Amino acid sequence: MAATRRLQKELNDIRQSGLKSFRDIQVDESNILTWQGLIVPDNPPYNKGAFRIEINFPAEYPFKPPKISFKTKIYHPNIDEKGQVCLPIISAENWKPATKTDQVIQALVALVNDPEPEHPLRAELAEEFLKDRKKFTKNAEEFTKKHSEKRPTD
Amino acid sequence: MTESISTLTAPISLSTYHQLSLTVETASIRNSGLFKPNPYLQVTVDDKLSRKTEVIKNTLHPKWNENFTILVTPLSQLLFRLADHHSFRKDNILGEKKLNLLKILQIFNGKCENVELTIDMMKASSQDNVSNTNPETKTAELVILLDGLRIDPSILHQSHEVLGEASSSRNPLNEGIRARIRLRNNPETLRSMLRSQSLRPPPGPPPLSNGSVHVSGASAGAVVDSSASAAGPSHQDAPPAPDPHPPPAPAAATAAAGAEEPLPPGWEMRYDVYGRRYYVDHNTRSTSWERPQPLPPGWEVRRDARGRVYYVDHNTRTTTWQRPDTERLARFQHWRGERRHVVAQGNQRFLYPQPQPPHQPDADNDATTMGPSGSSAALASGTVPGGTPGGAAAQAAPAGGVGSAVAADDPLGALPAGWERRVQPDGRVYYVNHKNRTTQWEDPRTQGQEVSAPEEALPPGWEIRFTEEGTRYFVDHNTRTTTFQDPRPGAPKGPQGAYGVPRAYERSFRWKLSQFRYLCQSNALPSHIKITLSRQTLFEDSYHQIMRLPAYELRRRLYIIFRGEEGLDYGGVSREWFFLLSHEVLNPMYCLFEYANKNNYSLQINPASYVNPDHLLYFKFIGRFIAMALYHGRFIYSGFTMPFYKRMLNKKLTMKDIESIDPEFYNSLVWIKDNNIDECGLEMWFSVDFEVLGQVIHHELKPSGDKERVTEVNKEQYLQLVTQWRMTRGIEEQTSAFLDGFNEVVPLEWLKYFDERELELMLCGMQEVDVDDWQRNTIYRHYTRTSKQVVWFWQFVRQMDNEKRARLLQFVTGTCRVPVGGFAELMGSNGPQRFCIEKVGKDTWLPRSHTCFNRLDLPPYKSYEQLCEKLNYAIEETEGFGQE
Repeated sequence: MAATRRLQKELNDIRQSGLKSFRDIQVDESNILTWQGLIVPDNPPYNKGAFRIEINFPAEYPFKPPKISFKTKIYHPNIDEKGQVCLPIISAENWKPATKTDQVIQALVALVNDPEPEHPLRAELAEEFLKDRKKFTKNAEEFTKKHSEKRPTD
Repeated sequence: MTESISTLTAPISLSTYHQLSLTVETASIRNSGLFKPNPYLQVTVDDKLSRKTEVIKNTLHPKWNENFTILVTPLSQLLFRLADHHSFRKDNILGEKKLNLLKILQIFNGKCENVELTIDMMKASSQDNVSNTNPETKTAELVILLDGLRIDPSILHQSHEVLGEASSSRNPLNEGIRARIRLRNNPETLRSMLRSQSLRPPPGPPPLSNGSVHVSGASAGAVVDSSASAAGPSHQDAPPAPDPHPPPAPAAATAAAGAEEPLPPGWEMRYDVYGRRYYVDHNTRSTSWERPQPLPPGWEVRRDARGRVYYVDHNTRTTTWQRPDTERLARFQHWRGERRHVVAQGNQRFLYPQPQPPHQPDADNDATTMGPSGSSAALASGTVPGGTPGGAAAQAAPAGGVGSAVAADDPLGALPAGWERRVQPDGRVYYVNHKNRTTQWEDPRTQGQEVSAPEEALPPGWEIRFTEEGTRYFVDHNTRTTTFQDPRPGAPKGPQGAYGVPRAYERSFRWKLSQFRYLCQSNALPSHIKITLSRQTLFEDSYHQIMRLPAYELRRRLYIIFRGEEGLDYGGVSREWFFLLSHEVLNPMYCLFEYANKNNYSLQINPASYVNPDHLLYFKFIGRFIAMALYHGRFIYSGFTMPFYKRMLNKKLTMKDIESIDPEFYNSLVWIKDNNIDECGLEMWFSVDFEVLGQVIHHELKPSGDKERVTEVNKEQYLQLVTQWRMTRGIEEQTSAFLDGFNEVVPLEWLKYFDERELELMLCGMQEVDVDDWQRNTIYRHYTRTSKQVVWFWQFVRQMDNEKRARLLQFVTGTCRVPVGGFAELMGSNGPQRFCIEKVGKDTWLPRSHTCFNRLDLPPYKSYEQLCEKLNYAIEETEGFGQE
């Protein structure tokens, strides 16, 4: 309830702003604390697919930050096999109650488009990314083809 | 109670009428058209009597909360019909469902009390011509509450004959009806707490083990795969209802499901109205949002006589109310691992030698008699069993007293409830606490307060300020320094102690302690109590024996006997008992206390403790036990959080107190405090939420708080209210139970001398601090090992006695205890965090500390003397000044 109003407003704002890179936002009428949506990256090797994410807001939002997880498998140095992602904007140290989900999503999209191998969650992918970019790109493209969802056509 | 009911109902047969209270609460209707319906509910009992709720206009989520009393027999059938009201044409039925009361009664053993039913309302989908079964679909979910019906369970057995196999061969309930007993304690607050969710369309299954029995409609036979076989035309009345709305992300969901392990036996996965996945445990008839992990090897689910589910661990021969998961088991392993250190730790703790044991062996000739109560019974029945403060001499005080009349025009106001003022024959006034049967010289209204001297003007350029916690300090604007020392000439300075501060400060804790000991001694009871326990059932044995006795008896000398190890308790055995039992209280399987957070090993009450149905009694017991530890001068294994001690001392909790238990929450509050919030769309109102065991609990911070927006203007009030709420949410009842138990043994007034840090020292004692280990495991920021301030610091530490060291440690790390593995294992709020000294500020500043990071901000002082003086102030002034 306390978080509901804020999230309702954020959701409306995001839907109205028509983000190109975050689409198909689905929210349960009964539980606004869980959102799902499609990340649609622009940069290769991820620009051939779309990736479903889930955003979980705690009941204490916005005192506590939301948590993000990937539901679609992705070959990315900063996103692990379980779909966990390490995003500084929602870390305990950096979180501010004024941070909007819209900013969080933009930060996430930026991270997907441009991996940060300096802070990897999957060290082996980060190493591949740095040492053999060609191979990384090929692997990531194949993985994207195999596992990702279709990009919205409109 | 049960007896009287069953004798009353014994001659009653299945056709006798009973009253049943039925509350129609809410419904959640699936959207099926352009217009929202105007729903109402009609209840028909046995095709005769029918009642209707009001029509609620234009909503998919009507809330009625209408109560009806209806007459039913155990064999009654209740038909619920949800309809859409039209002014101009016939009302349209949205969905219906028939309920056999008998089935509910069978499940709850004849008691239909506070039973919440969630009913899937079904409607035949007329357009469906593909199959000739004309299947029903779920169109709405209805929540009702049944109450006030109780019949003799033995009658229910007749029902098998009456109904033949109809009742036994079927599922316990119609498919699509879920029942559970709603928590009864304090229905008023519960109702308001749950308002936001339970009266909203209940979104599906409640979380696992929330203290209620949850009964699901289908039996274990109706698992998901049966939907395939049941597709045939046989099951007309209740198909397993394949969900018409697939889950939002079928691809992702199936991918994920494929990777998961199979469900444990008896579990089933289902989807709710909104397509969300949940899990039904047919073994315990409960539901959960979380995918179950199979029970670990050696575990078993059982049900007690009252039908409550519990879990047996055959490995350790223990039981628990909460389903064991990996995290809980890991914590349990950790906790068990501590056990072997516990006793060793206990022998290392100390405080000051007690001048005398708190009992007075010569006060009563019967002290040697072994009888548990016998001779002392006469004393106990008297009004003041403790005697008056003067000991034996004061026993002569006239029992009637003249005092109570005198108190009428006292400027301090009336005495607290249960207290009485009396006067000895020699004219000396004393106070009787009838609640606890104790007496004392001190006036409880002023106890622990310093006598304030008349205020004198400060020297020019000086100013009095108060810390956030209300401690007075002095600012000298001439030299830009601060001090706790009153600069006025008349202020008491006293002789300087060994560390360059007035001896009065230095020894104040010692003095307070002796005051406390004196109160304990003068209220000691003669003789002793025997507590006999077995090590295997330490907690339960202790619980029964301590709760069986009147609280004041617990002030007698303790005589603890471990079964099979008969020996004389000259103190060692009871010391061990206090230590072992206090560790036992932490057993994660009891769910009573929890660590404040991942990295703060202090204890706080677990808001989820209500999974243990008797938790309040246990908290009362633990309150008594902790008071006994203080009273008998024994130590406990692990301390509580500082905010908890403050609550015991009835001190106001501040925002700062949140930091130690929930740094993330605290940071957000600070951000709100420090920033202009009007421009950043926080969308905050005077209401808050939190989650316990998967349930979101809503709370309005003030009346109509949901309607009042938080702005720059009113945010101070908001922060205050949020702080208060954050520190008490979900634990108020438990805290009161604890304090009740405590106060019965040691009046809370006796603690008024102490602050929270001293209270911890008293309870946990000190231990020898290994300075070499400390120094080896300390890191520096903007200083080095050889900086002169660092050298001075260690010189200062080595000069201190143990109490000082413990208090310095407490100032910086928040606790006076060193981890079992030494300073290398010190934890901060982000994992292991060594003791750290950082250069911050100017030499005019006082040192500060960050207990979350075990960090001391040590300004670059100019001399050793200055460093000693400033550090001493910081440590001695225990009100949290200088902590950040």
